[in-house]
Order: sequence, then structure tokens, then C-alpha cells
Amino acid sequence: MNTLTFAIPSKGRLMEQAQGLIEQAGFKVERIGSDRGYRGRLTGLENVEIAFLSASDIAAALKSGEADLGITGEDLLRETIAPDNAVADVLLRLKFGPANVVVAVPDCWLDVAQMADLDEVAQQFYRLHGRRMRVATKYMNLTRRHFAAKGVTGYRIVESLGATEGAPAAGSAELIVDITTSGATLTANHLKILDDGLILSSCAVLAAGASCAADARVQQLVAALVRCL
Amino acid sequence: MAGRTAKEREALARQNAAIMAVFERAGFEQIAPDIIQPADIFLERSGEDIRARTFVFNDPNGAELCLRPDLTVPACRFHLSHAGQPEKEARYSYLGPAFRFPDEKLSPQEFTQAGLEWFGAGEAVAAEARMLKLAVSALEAAGASALQVTLGDVGLFAGLLQDTAMPERWRRRLQHQFWRPEAFKALLHSFALGGGKKRSSISEVIDAIGTANPQDAAVRWLEEHHLPQQGLRGIDEVAARLAEKLADRSETPLPQAAVEKLEAYLAVEGGAEDVLQSLRAISGGAGYAAALAHYEARLAALEEQGLNPKRFRFSANFGREIEYYTGFVFQVEARGLNLAGGGRYDDMLQDLGAAQRIPALGFAIHTERLQVALS
Repeated sequence: MNTLTFAIPSKGRLMEQAQGLIEQAGFKVERIGSDRGYRGRLTGLENVEIAFLSASDIAAALKSGEADLGITGEDLLRETIAPDNAVADVLLRLKFGPANVVVAVPDCWLDVAQMADLDEVAQQFYRLHGRRMRVATKYMNLTRRHFAAKGVTGYRIVESLGATEGAPAAGSAELIVDITTSGATLTANHLKILDDGLILSSCAVLAAGASCAADARVQQLVAALVRCL
Repeated sequence: MAGRTAKEREALARQNAAIMAVFERAGFEQIAPDIIQPADIFLERSGEDIRARTFVFNDPNGAELCLRPDLTVPACRFHLSHAGQPEKEARYSYLGPAFRFPDEKLSPQEFTQAGLEWFGAGEAVAAEARMLKLAVSALEAAGASALQVTLGDVGLFAGLLQDTAMPERWRRRLQHQFWRPEAFKALLHSFALGGGKKRSSISEVIDAIGTANPQDAAVRWLEEHHLPQQGLRGIDEVAARLAEKLADRSETPLPQAAVEKLEAYLAVEGGAEDVLQSLRAISGGAGYAAALAHYEARLAALEEQGLNPKRFRFSANFGREIEYYTGFVFQVEARGLNLAGGGRYDDMLQDLGAAQRIPALGFAIHTERLQVALS
């Protein structure tokens, strides 16, 4: 029987919740070697190896085929794998790690409620300032897809790998696309979410490469996890 | 395949030599615009959609550069930096690589374009017909046959829109969204419902302006709600748009007849001569009539070039993908492959720094695709 590689988060709350759920479903995650190792075994299923990776690396590993199965945020999965790419897909939405990917603009943009407004602001901004309105985000692909679907053009993405919510105040971007749970961080930074600015309602998901979704062990794992949700 | 074999390279070179010979005989001098271009010139004009497919990188000083995604802008920059008087007529040809990230159709990431750019040409329709003739001749010289030509004319729509009574700000928004058919349709129908009647999260702000000066009202709103000003976008810019939104509320809806007329135009499709009847049936004003006269004169000019416009197709929707076109657009296909495309883009040189608007026509042949069509 071929070995399946199951990638799970290596740190933080996502790791605790993922491991908790797996154990609740009757399996056990065992680390090989020291407690700090990045490899492990799933007991309860034959030939399933565990890879401890960061959540964003898990999405990339599913895409490249290095991992057959993985638990990661839906936001990272959708960012890494385009919707028309069948290389991996969500098998199960897990009931933890809820967060929304949203478009947020400064509170002082009193004239902006919707994405359609944003398109007009982009034109106005270019006319008056001679350069493109900038969007700070780590979700470059989700942003491009959402903006294109809403007919918003004439902006530029500035890649931001942390503290994105501070970009408008710092002057490094005019608006942001970021993840939020309660919206408190956005409010504290005087940003507001657009009426139609919800790009994705994300949560942690179990995803699998297309070639192993039908594997009996995968189906057994899914069935056991479903009972716990 | 990592590169071309000697045989493949020779075959492509032979094909392209036949194309370039046609260009040379027509009096176009072959230039070699830079392959590496400043990124902002493409990105600031095209926005994120092109950026997503352009190879962008930084030099050691942090300046953003790119590999040219096409040769039109590089040829324009060449012209502006070499020509003493950019408004004087210039005819250029080029043959060279362009680069784009593969899209979902998995087109190659580097490909060879052969094309022409004709700046400052006089007699507009004659020059347009000449460009199409040269594209067809070049493809035929390389061995292509059974070519299918599609024509479009962005000027017809612009004329019709200009003639349709509506607030100038609505017209500006429709013109802007013309390039995105779905957003255009949604916008057009929102104007038919009166524009800004639907409530949204900023309706209360607009309510609060009342009869006050929008800028004073906006400043007061920020103060009362303890909202700080943030970023480059000033309160005057915010107030200008609030004023428009306020005006939209009392605006007369766009009459259904006007909506139908614009949509009827955009649905026109058929033989390039057959559609004349449908185009004439649309009652525009002076702007549309002038554009239509231009279209008819162009058909005559195409015949003078020895082309047969009866065999060409016209689509009112064609040309809605590339935002810089300002009038005539065309595309030549064979065996289902889009081999060449081009048109008129009269705003580009001025946009890139020329002192005045300079007529510009151009097209590019996708030479690897031509090779596939010929195989």
C-alpha cells in the first residue's frame, strides 16, 4: 500500500484544534524522534505519514503533490490553487478557524460603500494623483479574482506580509484586502469593510489531492471526522 | 521543450522573413525597441490585469522593470525618444520576443511578434484600410490562406454614447465600463432605475449633506464621528463624489428607449456590409452619424486596397478587451487561431508624454501561432 502524506499545521491554535479533532475522531498523531521533529505518523490508519508544516506551506504542498492530504485555512488554499485547477479540493469544512477575507477602506472614505465605488475612486485617484490606487494584501490572487469579477480595474497590488491593516495609516497603500474574525482590528485602524467586500468566508478545511480523494483511508478519515463535527 | 532546434528556428525565421519583406516593401523601417522596459509605464496604464501576466522584477536600485508584454508601448517609447517631432509621420516595423505568464489557455510565456506601428498618418480611413491590407498580405506571403477577418469600431459606440442624453458623469462611467461587458450592463440598468436610489451603508452620509456644501458636510461628519483623515485621498476628493451621489438621487432615470438603443447597437453582428442596414436603423445624433460615415468610407477604402469587405465580419462587441483602442479594430484568424490583431489608438502617444494627440495605427502577428496554422 502506498504511503499517504497528511500535512497538518505545525504551530499555533490551528495545530491544537486540528490535532484535537483528529484525536477526537479516534486517531493519534505521533511525532517521530524528538518532540520538535517535523515528521510523524497517524496511528489508526495504515501507512499514513504526518508532515508538520506551516498553514501556507500546506496549501503549496497540496498543489505540488508533496502532500496528499492536508488541514489548512480555506483562504490559503483558494489563494494558492485557482478555482479552475482540479489538482486538489476541499473534502470537508472543519468547524474551527473561522475568518473572513474582506476588502476594507479608510473610514474617512465616506463616499465608498461598494466595489463599484472603488472602481470610480481608482479612476479619480489616477486622474488626480497620477498613479494607481494601491491595495495592500497577502492575498494577491484572491484580490485579483474578486476585483476582476466586480469590474474593478486600475489598481495596483502591494504585497504585504504582516500588519496589513496598518498600511493605509502608514501611507504604503490606500486600501487593504485582509483576513478578519471580529473586525476589531480593522475598526481600531479606522478601516471599514465594503458592503459587497466579503471575498471569502473561510474556515479550516480538510483538502486532498485529486488522485487520492477516492482512497479508502481518506474516506475512512473523512467519515470519522464528520461524526465529530 | 527547452528552446527550439536548429530546424525549428530556421523554419520560424524563414516564415518571418517573408512577413518582414512585405513590411519593408511598404516602407516601414525595422526598429528594435528595448526588451526590458520600465514596469510602471505598462502597469500604471493597464492596471492589475496585465500586471498579473507581466514578468516584473527589480534592479539593484529598487526600480521596477519588466519584460515587454507586447511591442506597442515599447515602439511608442522608441518613437518619443528618437523622433525630433513626434507628430510627423513615422512608419516602423518590428520582429522580436514578447513575454507573458501563461494564462489558462497555456499560451507560451515567450513568443515572437512581427508587427507595424504607423504614427501621424494622414487620411484616416485610407491608412486603416492600408494596415489591414498589410496584415493580410504579410500572412499570405508567409503561406496562410482562407483568412477570416473580423472588424470592429470603438468609435461607433463612443459616438452613440455622446449623442445619448444623460448626465456627463454617467456617460463617463459607461465609457469607462464599456471594456467590461458585464459591469457595463449592470451600470446601464442601474441608470435606467435612476442611478443612486438604492440604499447602501453610505446613504446616511448623503442624507446628512442635505442642502449644505458637500465638503463642509463631509468634514463635519468626520468630526462628529471621530474619524481621522488617512492617506493621500483628500476630503475634497471624497466630497466631489458625495456631491455626484447626491445629484444622482434627483436625476431623471435614463429612458428605457436609450437603454434599448445602446444595447441594440452592441448586439449588431454580421457581414461587414450586411450590418450597414442595422447600423443605419439605429438613430443616433451627429456623433454617431459621423462615425457611421467613417465606417462606410472605410469599407470603400478596403475595396480600393483590393480587399473584399463582403467577406469580412463586423461585431459591435469586438475590441472590448483592449482598453487603449480608440476606433477601428481588426483581427485575422485562420483555422480557428487568432493570428493577427490591431487597430487605432490615438490617445497613447499623448498619454506617454507627447505634447499633442497623434494618430496611431498598429497590429501584431503572433508568429508561432501562424506556424501552427500553417503546419
